[in-house]
Amino acid sequence: MSLLTVENLTVALPPGGDRALAIEDISFTLDAGEILCIVGESGSGKSVSSAAIMGLLPPALKVVQGRIDFEGRDLLGLKTAEMRLLRGSRIGMIFQEPMTALNPLMRVGDQIAEVLKVHGAGGSEGRVRELIEAVQLPDPERIARSYPHLLSGGQRQRVMIAMALALEPAVLIADEPTTALDVTTQMQILGLIKEVQARRGMGVLFITHDFGVVAEIADRVAVMQHGRIVETGPASEVLNRPQHAYTRALIAAVPRRARAIEEAPKGRPVLELIGVKKTYWRGGALFAPGIAVPAVSNADIVLRKGETLGLVGESGSGKSTLARCVVNLVHPEQGTIRFHDTDLRLLQRRHWKPFRQRIQMVFQDPFASLNPRRRVGDIIAEGPVAHGMDRPAALRRAAELLALVQLDAGAAERFPHEFSGGQRQRIGIARALALEPELLIADEPVSALDVSVQAQILALLEDLRQRLGLTMLFITHDLRVAAQVCGRVAVMQRGVIVEQGRTAEVFASPQHPYTQSLLDSIPGRHWLPPVSGTA
Amino acid sequence: MNRILGEFLSTFLRNKGAAVGFVVLALVGVAAATAGFLFPFSPWDMRGAPFMQPGEMDFLLGSDSLGRDVAAGIAYGARVSLLIGAVSTVVAVVFGITLGAVAGYAGGVVDDAIMRFTEFFQTVPSFLLAVVLVAIFSPSLASIVAAIAIVSWPPVARVIRAEFLSLRSREFVQAAEVLGRSRTAIVFREILPNALSPIIVLASLMVASAILLESGLSFLGLGDPNQISWGFMIGAGRSVIRIAWWMSVFPGIAIFLTVLALNLVGEGFSDALNPRLARRR
Repeated sequence: MSLLTVENLTVALPPGGDRALAIEDISFTLDAGEILCIVGESGSGKSVSSAAIMGLLPPALKVVQGRIDFEGRDLLGLKTAEMRLLRGSRIGMIFQEPMTALNPLMRVGDQIAEVLKVHGAGGSEGRVRELIEAVQLPDPERIARSYPHLLSGGQRQRVMIAMALALEPAVLIADEPTTALDVTTQMQILGLIKEVQARRGMGVLFITHDFGVVAEIADRVAVMQHGRIVETGPASEVLNRPQHAYTRALIAAVPRRARAIEEAPKGRPVLELIGVKKTYWRGGALFAPGIAVPAVSNADIVLRKGETLGLVGESGSGKSTLARCVVNLVHPEQGTIRFHDTDLRLLQRRHWKPFRQRIQMVFQDPFASLNPRRRVGDIIAEGPVAHGMDRPAALRRAAELLALVQLDAGAAERFPHEFSGGQRQRIGIARALALEPELLIADEPVSALDVSVQAQILALLEDLRQRLGLTMLFITHDLRVAAQVCGRVAVMQRGVIVEQGRTAEVFASPQHPYTQSLLDSIPGRHWLPPVSGTA
Repeated sequence: MNRILGEFLSTFLRNKGAAVGFVVLALVGVAAATAGFLFPFSPWDMRGAPFMQPGEMDFLLGSDSLGRDVAAGIAYGARVSLLIGAVSTVVAVVFGITLGAVAGYAGGVVDDAIMRFTEFFQTVPSFLLAVVLVAIFSPSLASIVAAIAIVSWPPVARVIRAEFLSLRSREFVQAAEVLGRSRTAIVFREILPNALSPIIVLASLMVASAILLESGLSFLGLGDPNQISWGFMIGAGRSVIRIAWWMSVFPGIAIFLTVLALNLVGEGFSDALNPRLARRR
């Protein structure tokens, strides 16, 4: 008999939502000693499923029918107090945001001990130490005495795992535990979960949107779409021989490594960065200088006409700062930013204006980058109007651009909140293109999007780049995306560009140890998505 | 836009307190607007015997020590209260938004200078400052409005500055910068419209405190001598409260209800404009 059995589980959404049921007729089993991945895009109901198992559904969501059997009991029939006993002790959970899941005012050791005490299982220092050691954190004594803000994201996630494992639960539910982490940290956490799971023979229910992670960790996979499970099976089967059309589409949308790149562009340099340096100052008072935090040091980049240069690196590596230096949102203190023949760094604000037309930017967060109080048409027309086009002409141009990014013309009259993330990102691209720039800077344009939407946006950008002859500086943390989009890549680590070269070459034979570790950390790096002609 | 407005109104009116406050405020407004029609004489006129009980000699709310109609005084006083409340709030909000916006958008030394200036006003007790200002500039509608505005702009500046600080680094503002918009366009078209909701809430509460301040000033005899006002009526009735309670009680109730109504309305705005709260209802 399985450890955990979910049968025909249906959960209703409050009336007035985009669909009636959050999840519909979900059935799956989880055995001891296996990792079951639930994969799906945002809104597919995967988090609702795990919340139902934990008895943590928001009050607005009601279970309509179904059973959740765990150790011979139906979890849905349990009283709150009984469920509370089970939570933590028999079913552990790890959350997505390690930054907010820990109490900032409590020492880490005390928080782990609390879990033990609440369930009447002691909470001695020795046991806490053991747990911290079990999640491979260095110097357990120091960690136990630290407050959460002193730990990095990866360390906090390890503490969360230690807490989840404290009472040796039979089932561990991990809801996107690595999504907020950098790739190298993600790899370590995935390794840790796998190792702990194998050692203790737990059943792990792992929720993710990332097929790379699935390939890395899963024994079995359940694919969810619109609240239903559309396909289940062993990981190797689902990943390499997907049956359902949706699974095939999802896997086809996973960026493929190393496309065939046309010959290196030999055009003249559009943008040249020489020795760019930017330092942030933290703290400091009237007479006490703050601490210097170098964000970018001595960055050299050349971008030739028509090429796409990828700037890759983990969070905090300075890649976004460097991009913002180019558009003067951040003012570097040293170096040359040469755009054709002008050094942009030395320009004053009023002399910048002509260059604003020629250099445009697409932002990361499609929800934050559009003014919520203005109509889409006005947002797109804003640039041309600022540069002297009259409003009716600019609005006509906006309508053309909406067609170019494959949105219907009616969109111009609506407000940004009426659109999905992918549609908003299209609006953001249309806004950037409204000025007909030569150089487009894309700052993580797809990292906030679901994989299938991501594929559409990447295809759109590629198509526009070719049709309009754009030169692009493409910033991303996702090496798969970089490999698909960029002709050349520059790898950044702690503000320094450590390696630069043709994408295919860098990926095939990375020279710098950091590049090597980045490449080794791509989740599912041994899995090549099947190229399916049908998808 | 109409749909957004409708949504806003429905959330606003679903809050019962806000609806009640709105009705009370409307009644006060009607009283102020129709004062000349209901009481077609000056509220300073002697209309009958002094110290008449409410209901006697056609005095709905009694008469005062000089035989003046208390009800007429309240109706005409509503004009003064609402006028001073509204005008001084507008002045304070405009001034506060300007300083707060400059501080929040410019940052750095400018921000520091403006905030120290703001703190200077916040460290002086506001009522005392208002008393001093009115006493220096001799009581008149203009000097009272100015005094109230001067003591009540600092919170506006602080709120606006905080909003600007957080909105300035938002991506849509950066996008406008990259598009080459001018600084004024960024401030007025991108940031300000997104920073207004807390100001609307704050302003409705400021009207209430302005009315209180004005009443306090005229109670102390620092009101405009040509305008009857609620505070003045209470001040005048204070010495005879044992024989003629209605002289101070009815203006007091008028102040109480108006201020309460404004607070309820302000809270309603706050709930309706806060999307997170609005969704939970």
